[in-house]
Amino acid sequence: MKSKKFLIGLALVGGVAVGFSADVPTPDQVKQLKEMGILPSDVIVDEGNDYFHNLKGPNGKTCASCHGQDGAKLVGAYAKMPRYYKDIDKVADIDIRIKACMTKYMGFPKDKKFKKKFTKKYRVPLAGYVATLSNGMKINVTLDDPQEKEMYEFGKKLWYQRVGGRDLSCAICHEVYAGYRIRLQKLGAPVRDKLYAHWPAYRFSKDKLWTMEDRIRGCYKSYFLYLGKKWDKKKDWVKKPPYYMKELVALELFMKKAANGATVEVPGLLR
Amino acid sequence: MKKVLFTGLVVGLGAIVACQAPASKAEQKAEKPAKKMSKEEKFRAALAKQDKYQKACSNEKQLIPEGISIEQFKKDMLATIKYPEGGVVGDWKKGEKLFGDPKKGGKGLGNCYACHCGDPSIIACGNIGPSLTGYGKSGADPKVTYQRIYNPWSVNPCSAMFRFGVHGILSPEQIAHITAFLHDPNSPINK
Ligand code: HEC
Ligand code: HEC
Ligand code: HEC
Repeated sequence: MKSKKFLIGLALVGGVAVGFSADVPTPDQVKQLKEMGILPSDVIVDEGNDYFHNLKGPNGKTCASCHGQDGAKLVGAYAKMPRYYKDIDKVADIDIRIKACMTKYMGFPKDKKFKKKFTKKYRVPLAGYVATLSNGMKINVTLDDPQEKEMYEFGKKLWYQRVGGRDLSCAICHEVYAGYRIRLQKLGAPVRDKLYAHWPAYRFSKDKLWTMEDRIRGCYKSYFLYLGKKWDKKKDWVKKPPYYMKELVALELFMKKAANGATVEVPGLLR
Repeated sequence: MKKVLFTGLVVGLGAIVACQAPASKAEQKAEKPAKKMSKEEKFRAALAKQDKYQKACSNEKQLIPEGISIEQFKKDMLATIKYPEGGVVGDWKKGEKLFGDPKKGGKGLGNCYACHCGDPSIIACGNIGPSLTGYGKSGADPKVTYQRIYNPWSVNPCSAMFRFGVHGILSPEQIAHITAFLHDPNSPINK
């Protein structure tokens, strides 16, 4: 793994993708990186593949013990997520679902320490890997369960909610002003343009693979939510909603439902 | 004489505080939950702080309030505006830094370049709001400019431009400086 990362560095220095620090590489550059087998997002997905088959829980089980060699039984699963799961009695996104499998079925402790390790280390590679198992399939989120319907409505409410010290909402930036620029940054239309199809996505500017939870948390930060009576960025700043909150799942469900019919193509490659 | 009195006061106060210590500790405890909120609670509390007017704008149209007439909405918003003692036109050079300091690539407390172009030398500017280049030549009343920065919703209910004065992001004096920056013939906005 390390040597691969080193190779990417070399490739970049070597000019394969010169000057893309702030931009997505051109399709040609991506093709070149792909041919060399060193697309940085692939490295992270490979790591997830490795965990899936080889990471044993305290009870000796691996993901593959239940979900099959090469994730055979999870093919197409991501295209229908988030959804309601009976065994954990909640609507879960991919991050929450995998965490639940590790604590419920593999014997990992349900404590803070493991939660942290999961969030930092296992979450993204595993989510990335599982998501690729749905590549080429059509997104098909159904709202069959009443809990899913409720979650969807909650997500819709959050999407349109003008709130915080900047009076913003997701919809102001991503619906009303979609296509416009914040400084030089173009605002996408995740709902109208079914952008969920390329999430999880690798962000060149951050050199990180992000799940949709990461993306939404990042945008909430730009809302400038605050708690005090007066603007005090240091004191009253509500930085980000923590991982695995219901609010995140609700927004994911709302946006993914809107992307129904689009073909999963992950990991996406973004600025 | 004063000093003696003061010392006596402090000692006296000290005694009172000492006597009351248990009670005030209990009080502190009762207040603590507000300060020691978890991140989840903080986030939800921030969402719950939505005011009546934000709520009226939280519909699918986003830019038209619901459940309140536009006239009433504007009237209420106009009533939130406080004015500085020195008038609504301040020092344009100070305003330039607040609007977005050219020495810092156009960043500043107001961060207006996020949505507006203005000084033509700042290229990294957004286009959510109209370009403000030449704004001072448009004949706008500085008082109205002041008002629409302090509370844009007093002119355009539910506008994407946030209520800088209402939220205390900018003080009345600072908004007056920015108003000057937009109107002064010597400001790069109008050159
Ligand atoms: C002991 C068996 C077991 C193990 C080990 C296990 N899971 Fe699961 N997993 C389940 C069960 C049971 C479900 C719920 C299936 C359902 O309700 O459709 C599930 C559901 C899932 C789903 C959602 C599937 C769908 O159809 O929507 C994903 C994704 C998933 N697991 C990933 C993982 C990953 C990744 C690992 C390893 C970190 C893992 N699981 C380990 C038993 C297991
Ligand atoms: C102030 C404007 C703003 C607000 C408000 C905002 N976002 Fe964003 N969002 C952005 C920008 C800018 C980007 C692109 C970031 C980048 O390229 O680095 C982005 C990116 C995204 C993307 C990825 C789009 C893609 O290309 O795939 C999603 C999804 C998203 N935001 C969801 C949300 C949600 C959900 C909310 C509400 C909680 C929200 N955003 C609120 C500005 C905003
Ligand atoms: C989130 C984006 C956003 C930000 C940040 C923003 N504005 Fe605006 N602004 C707008 C929009 C949209 C309009 C047009 C609608 C309206 O009038 O509210 C506008 C309109 C204006 C107008 C009226 C222009 C005209 O031609 O009548 C002025 C003046 C103005 N903004 C000044 C500022 C200043 C000064 C700042 C920084 C303190 C600022 N804006 C920050 C979005 C923004």
